[in-house]
Amino acid sequence: MSAAPQAPNGANDSRDPSGFLSEIIGAPVTVKLNSGVVYKGELQSVDGYMNIALEQTKEFVDGKLRRNYGDAFVRGNNVMYISADT
Amino acid sequence: MADAESPSESATNVNEPLDLVRLSLNETVFVKLRGDRELKGRLHAYDSHCNLVLGEVEETIYIFDDETEGADEPRTVTKNSEMLFVRGDSVVLISPQQ
Repeated sequence: MSAAPQAPNGANDSRDPSGFLSEIIGAPVTVKLNSGVVYKGELQSVDGYMNIALEQTKEFVDGKLRRNYGDAFVRGNNVMYISADT
Repeated sequence: MADAESPSESATNVNEPLDLVRLSLNETVFVKLRGDRELKGRLHAYDSHCNLVLGEVEETIYIFDDETEGADEPRTVTKNSEMLFVRGDSVVLISPQQ
């Protein structure tokens, strides 16, 4: 019961949220905070608190570009969602 | 010694987000806080809560009031402190200054 069942429908089926997050490491992502501020950058890493490290980050306030960061650490409690850009 | 990682690897690799903060120790960092406040200062210490100890800090407070309503930029107030302890729960973002 305790062991995770093998995904029957192929290896890329990420059935839990952290599986999704580890799959999109290195990809360009959009991170929205509860304050409404949006960060777009390359996802460097995520931990269990949903703390996030981003590279080449752009900060958008009210849809307008406000700042650029080379690297950025975002504290997890502020995160509303993480979305993989396509 | 029993570490699987070599010391040089663990010093530079970013395996978890807080490694980014660790690599900024004794460097100048930019910190965004709740309540429209920003800090710039030298990072002396941090922990997993993002409690921070900063030195030679410049704090910028953005004030959105009637005076500046409709203006492009809000009013700002800056404060300087020699040393500041920041409680982690007010931290939003930490970025190494380039």
